[in-house]
Amino acid sequence: MQQEKYEIWMMEYLSGELDENEKSKFEKYLQEHPELQKEFDAMNSTWKQIDRVEVPVPSEKMDISFFNMLNEEVEKKKPITSNRIERLKSFFGSFLKPQLAFGMLLLTLGLGLGYMLKSNPSTPAVKETRVTDTNTETEEVRGQLVLTLLEQNSANKRLQGVNEAAKLNDASERIIEALFTTLNNDPNINVRLVALESLSKYVETPEVRMGLVKSIAFQDSPLVQIALADLMVALQEKTSVESMKQLLEKPDINNTVKRKLEESINHII
Amino acid sequence: MQELTNNALMLKVKSGDLDKLGLLYERHKKRLFGFFYNMNSDASLSEDLVQNVFVRILKYKHTFTGDGSFTAWMFRTARNVNYDYYRKNKIAFNKSEISTVEYKLEDSDTVEKGMQRKDDISVLNHAMKILPPEKREILVLSKFKEMKFSEIGEILGCTEGTAKVKAHRALKDLRSIFLKLETR
Repeated sequence: MQQEKYEIWMMEYLSGELDENEKSKFEKYLQEHPELQKEFDAMNSTWKQIDRVEVPVPSEKMDISFFNMLNEEVEKKKPITSNRIERLKSFFGSFLKPQLAFGMLLLTLGLGLGYMLKSNPSTPAVKETRVTDTNTETEEVRGQLVLTLLEQNSANKRLQGVNEAAKLNDASERIIEALFTTLNNDPNINVRLVALESLSKYVETPEVRMGLVKSIAFQDSPLVQIALADLMVALQEKTSVESMKQLLEKPDINNTVKRKLEESINHII
Repeated sequence: MQELTNNALMLKVKSGDLDKLGLLYERHKKRLFGFFYNMNSDASLSEDLVQNVFVRILKYKHTFTGDGSFTAWMFRTARNVNYDYYRKNKIAFNKSEISTVEYKLEDSDTVEKGMQRKDDISVLNHAMKILPPEKREILVLSKFKEMKFSEIGEILGCTEGTAKVKAHRALKDLRSIFLKLETR
């Protein structure tokens, strides 16, 4: 038998990797080769003796330092945000302490001076104008945003535009116009419905009411037609009867819409 | 079965659940300590090295793929820790126990002068210390319960068969050192 193979076999025997059947095969092989038996016995006793080499038990200190290390790592990982705050704090603490104190001093001085000199009654008025200024500015920006969004190709963007329009306190003519264009021409039903909702905010304006009445005849979607009819009933808008009758005459009208329109006309009259 | 949960635990550690390392530590601390103690016979140093192994496991947790066994991966780390310790402290790892047995044997006289009786165990202990580290290492590993030669091969970066042959030859060398010590 090849030397290496025998060495492997013996190690398998010694380390207990062999099952009973294979073990007895190995033992039988040794019996057949007495010269190997002697060597094996020596190896076997040394192998067994290794087990008896004493290894002390690790101290508690090892556990403590391990768990300290682990806890530190866990802490390090957990509150990244609070760590950042801490770092910021120490940053300001180390660099800006004198500056901060100086700043506070200046602020107190300023406040004191202001208090002593407060005699200017126009200050609140100025403040108010500023607030209204910012409000009008926001309105203007929002108005621009609505106009831009309504021109977008994506229905989602247009929806967003119509929603933004609903947030306006007072819509300009251009915006009303844009909303009507959307209501009458937008290919997406949802956008049209939301545009109608936004416009219903301004029904106090006669032009808007008129526009809505005219719009009835333009609509081809049953959903929008019904929504418009509902709105007209709520407004008790007599002039809309004509438009609704016009719509009723269309040959391709949906039955539900037909019933709804007839009902609405009766309600208004 | 346990190896499976070892791997699962380590994958959890990898994914950020660091607390699971505590379980792995409890499971393996004794074996790791035993490994180091057998290599350096210094309990305090061995405790430090066990700690280093786990620090490294955390640091390189992203390299654990879960393909091989966790135990093998851990002992590979332990070997590196041991090797790095010797290298850092400029102790020649391979020659830590003065290369020739003969030289060591002369030296051992002084060590054992005070000993009244050379019993087998202390002689074997001594023989283990004289055995070159790489041979001592494979014997220590193959003596661990539940450690298979396939894993030892994985740790040493060789085949299972080569690991067995290496273990056999290390045992043979240990035997001959033992005999030389005993007959003195």
